[in-house]
Amino acid sequence: MASAYLTHQQKVLRLYKKSLRHLESWCIFRDKYRFYACMLRARFDDNKNEKDMVKATMMLKAGEEEFWANQHPQPYIFPDSPGGTSYERYECYKVPEWVLDHWHPSEKAMYPDYFSKREQWKKLRLQSWDKEVAQLEAETSAGGVRTEALPPARKEGDLPPLWWQFVTRPRERPT
Amino acid sequence: MAARVLQQCVRSLARPSLRLCPVSAALRAAVAPAVGVHRPVSFAADSRRTRWLGQSRISSVVVLCRQYGDLPPLTLETIKDRVMYVLKLYDKINPEKLQETSHFMKDLGLDSLDQVEIIMAMEDEFGFEIPDAEAEKLMSPEEIVQYIADKKDVYE
Repeated sequence: MASAYLTHQQKVLRLYKKSLRHLESWCIFRDKYRFYACMLRARFDDNKNEKDMVKATMMLKAGEEEFWANQHPQPYIFPDSPGGTSYERYECYKVPEWVLDHWHPSEKAMYPDYFSKREQWKKLRLQSWDKEVAQLEAETSAGGVRTEALPPARKEGDLPPLWWQFVTRPRERPT
Repeated sequence: MAARVLQQCVRSLARPSLRLCPVSAALRAAVAPAVGVHRPVSFAADSRRTRWLGQSRISSVVVLCRQYGDLPPLTLETIKDRVMYVLKLYDKINPEKLQETSHFMKDLGLDSLDQVEIIMAMEDEFGFEIPDAEAEKLMSPEEIVQYIADKKDVYE
């Protein structure tokens, strides 16, 4: 996402998706849900070529109000999504990678290949850190940071900024 | 500790099964607990002997470990197969024209509402939610496969 504001199209698509999900929670039988989903899609399709943005925004607002009135009290939420049963369940097992440096040498000796490669990666990180910081400082606008999105690497042979955090992120499901 | 005791009991029960048929039935009857009537004892010994004979052909190692239920592990091929299968089932896509790298909007002529429906079908197939911010960027089956593999730690 480029900026913090959503475009009209993005808002419409989000309304469509959440209304379909709540419709799925209401109509538990698949054929019934399919029928009403097609009706809803037809309603969205009728008005999709509206060029007048004022009217389109009014329709979106009416749609959001209709969604609020007809939403399901306990919609189906996927286990891993916020509000679901297994959301952040394994968060406590996601250990940061710097813990590996605190291992005892006898434990490190059990994985010699990995730790030797790890030294090379750390050297690479040291080398590229200054360039990453310089790139970030150059690309941040004067008013401060607007979004969490990081810019990609601009020059050839350069690594994207803050790549270490991304590359050494813990697994989604730690073993 | 209880597990260790249980393992020892299991080993002592399983040990006679390593012996083959020539062992006399008297020994088996002696091993069997002393029950009052003679016939049930011999019957029990016989059944136990046949059971042990049956077991002696199978390895009688009982490993006490917890067994959790889970789905089979995902691989890139299975993810790709499932994604293509779901996409072929969608009625607005021509299955002959569908490739891994075909763009939904440019090559297959789909709408943004169709793309939302496709992403919802993928969420239903794989059982986890794809947030809207990232879902609107997934425009080809290959990108979907990469995203799912990224989220599910497949060949990281």
